[in-house]
Amino acid sequence: MRTLIVAEYVRDALESVRAAKTLGSDKVLLLAFGPTALEAENLSGLVDKVYALSSRNPESVYNSLRSIYEEEEPGLIIGVVSKNVKDALSRLAGAYDLPMSTEVVEVSVEGDSVKYRRGILSERAYSVEKVPMPAIILLNPRVFEPEEAKPGGEVVKLEEGNTRVKSIGISRKQLSGVKLEEAEIVVGVGRGFKKKEDLKLAFDLAELLGGQVGGSRPIAADFKWLPEDAWIGISGKRISPKLYMAIGISGAPQHMSAVMGSKVIVAVNKDKNAPIFKQADYGVVADLYQFLPILIKKIRERKG
Amino acid sequence: MGDIVVLLKAALNPEMVRSKPDGTLDQDAIPLKLSDIDRNAVEEAAKLKQRLGGKVIGIMVLTVGPVAKREKDLKMAVQEALAKGVDEAIVVADDRITPGDQVQTAKIIAEVIRSSSINPSIILASEATIDETTGQIPGRVAAKLGLPYISFVRSIEVAGNKVIAERDLEEELEKVEAEMPVVVSVTQEINQPRPPTLIQIRRAARKPQKRLGVDNVKHVIGTKRVILERRIVSINRKQQIIEGSNLEEIADKLIDVLEKEGVIKL
Ligand SMILES: Cc1cc2nc3c(=O)[nH]c(=O)nc-3n(C[C@H](O)[C@H](O)[C@H](O)COP(=O)(O)OP(=O)(O)OC[C@H]3O[C@@H](n4cnc5c(N)ncnc54)[C@H](O)[C@@H]3O)c2cc1C
Ligand SMILES: Nc1ncnc2c1ncn2[C@@H]1O[C@H](COP(=O)(O)O)[C@@H](O)[C@H]1O
Repeated sequence: MRTLIVAEYVRDALESVRAAKTLGSDKVLLLAFGPTALEAENLSGLVDKVYALSSRNPESVYNSLRSIYEEEEPGLIIGVVSKNVKDALSRLAGAYDLPMSTEVVEVSVEGDSVKYRRGILSERAYSVEKVPMPAIILLNPRVFEPEEAKPGGEVVKLEEGNTRVKSIGISRKQLSGVKLEEAEIVVGVGRGFKKKEDLKLAFDLAELLGGQVGGSRPIAADFKWLPEDAWIGISGKRISPKLYMAIGISGAPQHMSAVMGSKVIVAVNKDKNAPIFKQADYGVVADLYQFLPILIKKIRERKG
Repeated sequence: MGDIVVLLKAALNPEMVRSKPDGTLDQDAIPLKLSDIDRNAVEEAAKLKQRLGGKVIGIMVLTVGPVAKREKDLKMAVQEALAKGVDEAIVVADDRITPGDQVQTAKIIAEVIRSSSINPSIILASEATIDETTGQIPGRVAAKLGLPYISFVRSIEVAGNKVIAERDLEEELEKVEAEMPVVVSVTQEINQPRPPTLIQIRRAARKPQKRLGVDNVKHVIGTKRVILERRIVSINRKQQIIEGSNLEEIADKLIDVLEKEGVIKL
């Protein structure tokens, strides 16, 4: 079986190489684009051939993919989910009518088929499926351990070529660098907070408990009251702290599926029918503006 | 301005997952609704139309059958889209469509766009659905139609024959431009969908709807995907509401219980 890996980020490339080897590929090709293209030499000892494309434009990734696909006829095309990778591979899937599965958490090869497991229904359920090869499988991060980089193999440089969509400017997002996925205590804030300044209540609570503050998607991505690396959910960060305190969060599946690894979940919500109470260990039905100051005061008192 | 096409999915509602006694998913018992971010796509279509003119055409392929069982959900999803700004809906529903198979869905959508009298300037879809969440249909459709594709878009502007869009990447925002026609997938942040007014809801019932089966669509193949097992993820939480005669008492009880659980140390 031939495997083609597509990677924009180096860590994703290293995880995908491990996946390709574990799945029993006898030839492994790597299309390294964007930041990973700069590391092409360093990775080349791990695979049979690296194609290096310095562009990050998904259209030129797609064009490169098409020619490699035609030439090498891989049975498996794999990568780790990221936006540009998804974009480019969805086009390849469309062009050749290949089955494509994303956010895969388990994968194995059985004869001419690939079997895999993935979350469905915003991860409220999972599905085990099988498709014949050739097929595209995009793994969740950290399903496979990364390999160590190794230089010394063949690198083919690819040209960006003409694209119809042109990049006319890039700006970096303001990120805080907090590692919510490593925090032991996380205070999560939702739309129950009325203004950005009010988040101080959550920051005070988190500081007293030695925790970090994260938020629901609207708080981080839409209102931008928190940096985007504090966005918790299936399209943000997955967390598994000892304690998750969700304040003014309704309990949408896309948020809750990503916090289910928490040991204890506490919910504070003024609506006693909020779906979050069915997914929490301890619930407080109260207005956060009344409850949090009291909780903070009590914790301060006990800390002395 | 040509037509503005919006791709709409009647998706299984994850807030209403149901399982059989053995924990396997009871898909037939889960209702469908218009997928969340498709509402943002409709809203964006309505806004583009307001500025530029054109007609908003919604295309929906029912991928969760059997059709007879899903008529009511399907009708509600279509009505919602029509009330929120779609001018005309094309619905493909047929028991021969394999549930949830993206190869087939994309083929049908591309074929409908190619073979009807649609003249798209922009084809809008959402970044991901609430049931499959794969984010692959718009890219597939773009490749099939040979159109440029701009994914994960947080804002769109149209200037002359060009679309200028901001893409939302992991750590950057990227501004891109392309000539129309173009396929665009939008994120939830692109706008705040407005609830429809009473007049819009009333008008929706009179807007044209076309119903197609697979016989109206060429080249539709069977699925390659076999579903082996679908199970619900069980949530085992204590679900204990902390009660008390006042908030002070509740706060004390909460601190006690968290200390007992060993998750906080004061
Ligand atoms: C494909 C897809 C991916 C998504 N990914 C994510 C994701 O990664 N993360 C994410 O979070 N969301 C995600 N979402 C969005 C998700 O569906 C919800 O819209 C979102 O989580 C809701 O955020 P919220 O709970 O803060 O707001 P709301 O749902 O508006 O809830 C606010 C809650 O606050 C309560 N409240 C209001 N005032 C007070 C008060 N004074 N005191 C106490 N409580 C109060 C209300 O009762 C309500 O329950 C995604 C959606 C889709 C479709
Ligand atoms: N069956 C369908 N009919 C029409 N549009 C669809 C269908 N499935 C997906 N789409 C469109 O593609 C987007 C992404 O879907 P998905 O690839 O399933 O995550 C959806 O939000 C819709 O805009």
